[in-house]
Amino acid sequence: MATSFSSKRHSILPPISQAGPKPPIQFSSSITIADSALLTGSHTITIRTESVVHPRARLDSSGGRITIGRRCIIHERSLIGAAPGGGLPTTPSRTSSLLAPPREGVEEETAAGPAGVTLGDYVTVEVAASIEAGDTVVGEGTVLGVGARIGTGAVIGKHCTLTPHTIVAAGDVIPDFTVIYSNGTRRTDRRGVADLRNKGQARQIEVLRRMIPSNPAKFQ
Amino acid sequence: MAPLTPYTYIQCPCSDPSNLSYSRASDSGSPIDGNPGFDDEEHTFDPRAPRSNYSLYPLEYLLYCEDCHQIRCPRCIAEEIATFYCPSCLFEVPSSNLKSEGNRCTRSCFQCPICIGPLSVTSFETQPDPNLLAAPDHAAAPHSGPYALNCSYCHWSSAEIGIKFDKSNGIHGQLAKLRNGGTTRLTAKERKERRKDILQSGGGGGGTAPGASGDTGNDQQAIDMETQFTNLKSFYQGQLSESTSGGNGLSSLGDLGFASPTSLSRIMSIYTGGSLHDKKSKSRVGSMREALDPNEGLIVADLDESAAIEKLHSEGIDGTVDTEQLLNQPPYLGEPHLHGRSRFGSELRPIPYLLRTKRSKRCPVCRHIISKPEAKIQTTRFRIRLIAGNYVPSITIRPLNLNDNNGAAGTPLPPTAPLPDTLQPLKPAHFLLIFKNPIFEGVKISLATPAKTPGRFASKVTVLCPQFEIDANTDVWDEALKDDGARRRGAGGGRKGDERPGSTQGQQRAEAGKIWERGRNWVSIVVEVVPASLRLDTLPTEGPEGEKVDMSPLKEDEDVLEIPIFVRVEWEVDAVGDDLGSSLASSRDKEAKEKRELAYWCVLGLGRVSQA
Repeated sequence: MATSFSSKRHSILPPISQAGPKPPIQFSSSITIADSALLTGSHTITIRTESVVHPRARLDSSGGRITIGRRCIIHERSLIGAAPGGGLPTTPSRTSSLLAPPREGVEEETAAGPAGVTLGDYVTVEVAASIEAGDTVVGEGTVLGVGARIGTGAVIGKHCTLTPHTIVAAGDVIPDFTVIYSNGTRRTDRRGVADLRNKGQARQIEVLRRMIPSNPAKFQ
Repeated sequence: MAPLTPYTYIQCPCSDPSNLSYSRASDSGSPIDGNPGFDDEEHTFDPRAPRSNYSLYPLEYLLYCEDCHQIRCPRCIAEEIATFYCPSCLFEVPSSNLKSEGNRCTRSCFQCPICIGPLSVTSFETQPDPNLLAAPDHAAAPHSGPYALNCSYCHWSSAEIGIKFDKSNGIHGQLAKLRNGGTTRLTAKERKERRKDILQSGGGGGGTAPGASGDTGNDQQAIDMETQFTNLKSFYQGQLSESTSGGNGLSSLGDLGFASPTSLSRIMSIYTGGSLHDKKSKSRVGSMREALDPNEGLIVADLDESAAIEKLHSEGIDGTVDTEQLLNQPPYLGEPHLHGRSRFGSELRPIPYLLRTKRSKRCPVCRHIISKPEAKIQTTRFRIRLIAGNYVPSITIRPLNLNDNNGAAGTPLPPTAPLPDTLQPLKPAHFLLIFKNPIFEGVKISLATPAKTPGRFASKVTVLCPQFEIDANTDVWDEALKDDGARRRGAGGGRKGDERPGSTQGQQRAEAGKIWERGRNWVSIVVEVVPASLRLDTLPTEGPEGEKVDMSPLKEDEDVLEIPIFVRVEWEVDAVGDDLGSSLASSRDKEAKEKRELAYWCVLGLGRVSQA
């Protein structure tokens, strides 16, 4: 939920306001990105093969590059690349001033700008989840639940499950196959069905491709 | 501090001690020696007294008995269970099943043991390649293969504890037979056979010593609670029969010990349903030996906890269960003993859904039903529901911004506006109390409040108009179509009432003995409060009777200004229309009018007093 929208329910959809600069993009030809997705920022946004970006998903690269892996699903009203510091950005102009300083070990990347958010393959970002920028990494096959919030610099392992409204603190490192509950408890997932889930994700993407009209040309 | 929204709580008359003795006396006909401390006239209700705990309810929580003409709160109704049902599958469970199968759903409804989310049965078969999605025969092919319970919230799966099912239905029955790890639970027959085998190979039980040898420890792993119980039972049964045969005539001294046959048979009759208890046991004496062997039901406590400690090291605190999860676990007899074992989250089993009930409520005095739900589980409607809101006038509180100086001068006053969050101490504040009449007869309301609120910090309260009448709750259209009513209201216009004391063109003044506004079925009156100062140094050093004054610091919510108010509602009804059959004759004599009254204490919470 962006703060530019009021907390009241609207009977009609609020207009999509493209605020801030248009970011440079690197799209694979096979992605599905809705016309009304919102891409802002000054750094490159990379989306790899077969990923799906729902309408009204917001990708903000003013805090660093955004890289989305293969077969990811970014649901609506999710915010990738939120300004660090807990709160969601109020204005895009303010986010640039809140830019996280580049960390050690990423110097070689400075040519392309600081890394903002990196999503591995098969990541699902559910509705209204937000990921703060600042070298935040989400591993392969991880599901970020509805309204989950990931702090800046957090590193989430592979095949994790974040239940709805989970908050991951900034800089937190979460091992692979962890389930995080919204009350803070954690558990290790021992099902070993990662492959199955990846297949399921691929099938879901098949369906979504038919349902979401894609318009990558708009963001060129 | 959180701002306080004004509230009105009603004290159900059932919790008033004076009322209680009165009703009891009227019920039994025998006068109860009156409690001198609770004289009805003298006693003012103190909402903060410990006695009034759990007796205050918002109007919405209360029911009303039409025959007793009394408010009924959740404490003074008799409940009876109408139906049992599973909240997950909404199937009704007959009460006969309940006795045999327990209070949990025996179909396929389960909760996740970790997060209590609902579990769904999913096929464990690997899903086909996504490339084959388009193939039409894929959808037709049913999932076979093993099934598992899956939590869609946290992705827990019963495969994690090694439980998989062959069929997708009747999960409850399948789960009861499966132990964690997938091994099947022993049936009674198997257990008997196994026991027989052991007895034959071991040479008559009891022979081997229960030494701390390695193989006893291994045996313990295999023994689950059920097996141990049967072992113990058969051992003691054997002991009892032995002692009867070899009974010697000793005194009853040994009868009291743990090892005496009498006490043993008594204990066994408790645990095994009384079948073993017989009169003959009285004659048995002497002592018996205890179980010495796993086959006889002895389990040596396993003091080696290194495995548990190691697991704690590897899994950390997140791997253990919390109390809530543990309490949610249904008892399962098929698992080994908990001796020396710790509970880990990885051992929890799926929880069958607890059944819920639909209940009907009766008046405890006249046994009339005052709330009865629809028998069908899918519907949430009620057949009978006599809520107090349909009988008792509702009271709403609204802060009134009355500037006193201007008010006294009679100059125009601002309309009702939001007051600041807190009340200023020692500064008069005004509140509008809006009484709304829900019944179809006009009612007369009398209010009574103590001049000073009870408690340490006594605020002054003045109800400006303690007696007034409210018109009946007639049809809205009736009123609107009535010419007369429209004319009367012409000057005031719209929502504003027709009776405003001292009002000329929107000027309003709070005046003693006059109501503030009047509407179709509502009346608003003004209450003036002077909140007390919350400073401890303003408290008197001694009470009126010379007792010590509590000088402790401010307690929780002691800064909330609460006014106890006694409401008495009087109205007249057509006695004929009330109950036809019984009182027809008597009502003729009374000219078809009957006086009704309802009186109760309620508490108005007006706001917090600022602590400046």
